Amino acid sequence: MIQKILVVDDSLVSRKIIKSCIPADRGYEIHEAVNGLEGVAKYKEIDPDVTLMDLTMPVMDGMQALEEIKAFDERAVVVVCTADVQMKTISRVMSRGALMVVKKPITRNAINDALYRAEQTITGHNRP
Amino acid sequence: MTSFLYEEITAEETDILQEVMNIAFGKASADLAEVIDIYVVLNIPEISVMKATDIPCCLAREISRFDKISIVHQNYWGKFKGTAILVFPAKAGRELATLLDNGPDEGGELLDPAEMERDTLTEVGNILIGACVGKVAELLDDVITFSPPRILVDEESRQVVPAETFDARHSAILLKTLFTFEERDAGGFLFLLPNSTSFGWLKKALHTFMEQYL
Repeated sequence: MIQKILVVDDSLVSRKIIKSCIPADRGYEIHEAVNGLEGVAKYKEIDPDVTLMDLTMPVMDGMQALEEIKAFDERAVVVVCTADVQMKTISRVMSRGALMVVKKPITRNAINDALYRAEQTITGHNRP
Repeated sequence: MTSFLYEEITAEETDILQEVMNIAFGKASADLAEVIDIYVVLNIPEISVMKATDIPCCLAREISRFDKISIVHQNYWGKFKGTAILVFPAKAGRELATLLDNGPDEGGELLDPAEMERDTLTEVGNILIGACVGKVAELLDDVITFSPPRILVDEESRQVVPAETFDARHSAILLKTLFTFEERDAGGFLFLLPNSTSFGWLKKALHTFMEQYL
């Protein structure tokens, strides 16, 4: 069951949008990071159930952060939320272990769908 | 004495506009990648507000790293109206032309390289500017029309827009996106210059865009 969500995006506006699309009635604990480096650090610190990761960020981009998180925790559930919707980008993030890609502008339906899939994945991980 | 009408754009509005531009250029890159086998490395768009008469120098500074440039210049109209300027270093056009080069045309004639380069820049400009500005308009609930593009190839790096284009009484917003083409020694800038008469509408539209998320 999802309890903690980590939102990694350098744009304050984008983080607001993403948070507004996350259902408020499920009691999720939402944490934030403003770039990939902080995102990796926060991941290690709080062990979120799902990470929503932007790609184009300063300091460390989302692609590298995704790699580092997956190297740290191969079961990490990372959903990439990005404006970069080139096929090669999608292919690259999926090959690095992202669960799925949500295209910006984010919608409530897309986030709900992502959280549903994340929930399924986590349940699958927890099966003996 | 001419008074200066400085239209404020708040920090929040700048952030929203940056995100809108980010989404729009992401779409534009994807559209281009569907047409030519190229991967566009995106950067975070930058938004600057300044006196309108400072724009030419600001643009000149941005492109001063290039000795010669090629430009695609296009105006757009809607409630969001202004000018789009796509700037490449001169060799980028030739590099991109090789990606679109399918050999001789139907008549067996090889296209003139200069013409090929010009055609390529027109096509790339059409896609990047059209998709980017179109997506900005769509996100802000507007409809846009475009002027035909003006292409300048192998120009000396200089003022890309004449200073007299701008009204000294107004401020200007410069939207800048730097992009590079992976595995190609090429890249460029896309600048959007919204017309100062659009500012009032733009500010409202940005807040309306965010309201759907509140």
